[in-house]
Amino acid sequence: MSGLGRRFPAAFIDRYSRLMPDFDAFLEAMQRPLRRTFRVNTLKTSRARALELLADLEPEPLPWCDVGFVLDRGEGVGLRIEHFIGLIYVQEAASMIPPLVLEPRPGERVLDLAAAPGSKTTQMAAMMENQGLVIANDQSAGRVRGLIGNVDRAGCLNTVVCRMDGGVLARAVAGSCDRVLVDAPCSSEGTIRKSAEALDRWSPDASRKFAGLQKRLILAGYEALRPGGVMVYSTCTMAPAENEAVVADLLRRRPDALVREAGLPGLKMRPGLTSWDGEDLPEAVGRCRRVLPQDNDTEPFFVTLIQRPGHEAR
Amino acid sequence: MKHVRDIMERFGIPEEVFKRLAAIEAQDTVFVGTPEVMKFTAVRPMRCGIRLCRLFPYSVKPTSFAMQVLGRHATRNIIDLSDEQTRSIINGNELRVEAEADNGFVLLRWHEFVIGVGLYRKPVLKSQIPRFRSVEEPGSD
Repeated sequence: MSGLGRRFPAAFIDRYSRLMPDFDAFLEAMQRPLRRTFRVNTLKTSRARALELLADLEPEPLPWCDVGFVLDRGEGVGLRIEHFIGLIYVQEAASMIPPLVLEPRPGERVLDLAAAPGSKTTQMAAMMENQGLVIANDQSAGRVRGLIGNVDRAGCLNTVVCRMDGGVLARAVAGSCDRVLVDAPCSSEGTIRKSAEALDRWSPDASRKFAGLQKRLILAGYEALRPGGVMVYSTCTMAPAENEAVVADLLRRRPDALVREAGLPGLKMRPGLTSWDGEDLPEAVGRCRRVLPQDNDTEPFFVTLIQRPGHEAR
Repeated sequence: MKHVRDIMERFGIPEEVFKRLAAIEAQDTVFVGTPEVMKFTAVRPMRCGIRLCRLFPYSVKPTSFAMQVLGRHATRNIIDLSDEQTRSIINGNELRVEAEADNGFVLLRWHEFVIGVGLYRKPVLKSQIPRFRSVEEPGSD
């Protein structure tokens, strides 16, 4: 443990040894480099054809995503012709989870409130078979350029790209969206597995910077839903202040919001925390889901499925 | 729209392909997308669907990204490329090829996939594919 202690800041060890089940396994998993993963872009090819073309890389299927694959020898996959023409999209395995939980369908209207760089936008466009409408938004000019590039490369004909404040956009489409994804900007603790700098930047106070924005975005996303519509709130961080506390804040402001249990066959998820920082959170927050690195060999992730009461989703 | 018809005609793309799509012209560009995309007016988006073509005074230039999706049903003015030719042209090199295609814009095909648009002046073939990234060529690291 001493070696691990040298690498992880004491405050990190202190926080997560109290919060994280199987802490030693968690810490060990956080030190392993992430496996390279990709998703087949079904707007351009079939799963079977992509596997045929990439057979030399021996892709292994992800248990919970039928178009997601792991590469043990993935170096250079980004330089392949298959990648250049958008037959595949290099995407972290855990990042494929929010769209799978949201389940967008062909013909629906879907809002992706913090969309750049577009992994989940393009995944949803493919799940919708290039039909209906994906409204993909990001406020940053630089990030929107990357988003447009990925929408182009993936061949998304059902996507509009906006660059504006998420709250303003959500008000403009209030009550009209079948599904909303709020994959919120966060302190990105999950990226520690792929970047040593992420650990260097880690601070116990980083969450404070994001929590206000996250609370605004989840509320904005909820207002955009039509009655019966569903929203996924997700982050790639483990900090409760950016996860369960944000969902609890929505429930305080919109007591009618329903937290649904999310599950994907083949993916181990753990319940959300129901107390944090000496405070009990609403019982419904226990239906949030945590994806831990030691369970599925992914980045850590947080995902919550929320429904606005009313007619059932189409 | 005339420009859509011109592209369908040039590459022999069946009308059926555009039946469930809509197009709009903005400045010197035509965008293509689902009808829902084109009807979206709640805010002013930066981008609606994909750029189908750029309009020049004497020509219409189809975009590689649109042709990668819509060109798969094309029947003419297509040049098939080997793995090696594909890597070379993506990386910006000119090729010399004898192909059954008219001079002008052509679709470049690798296996069954349209990889983008080229400009053919027999026998010289130049890539029109955006070079935002390269692909690995044999012998490179």
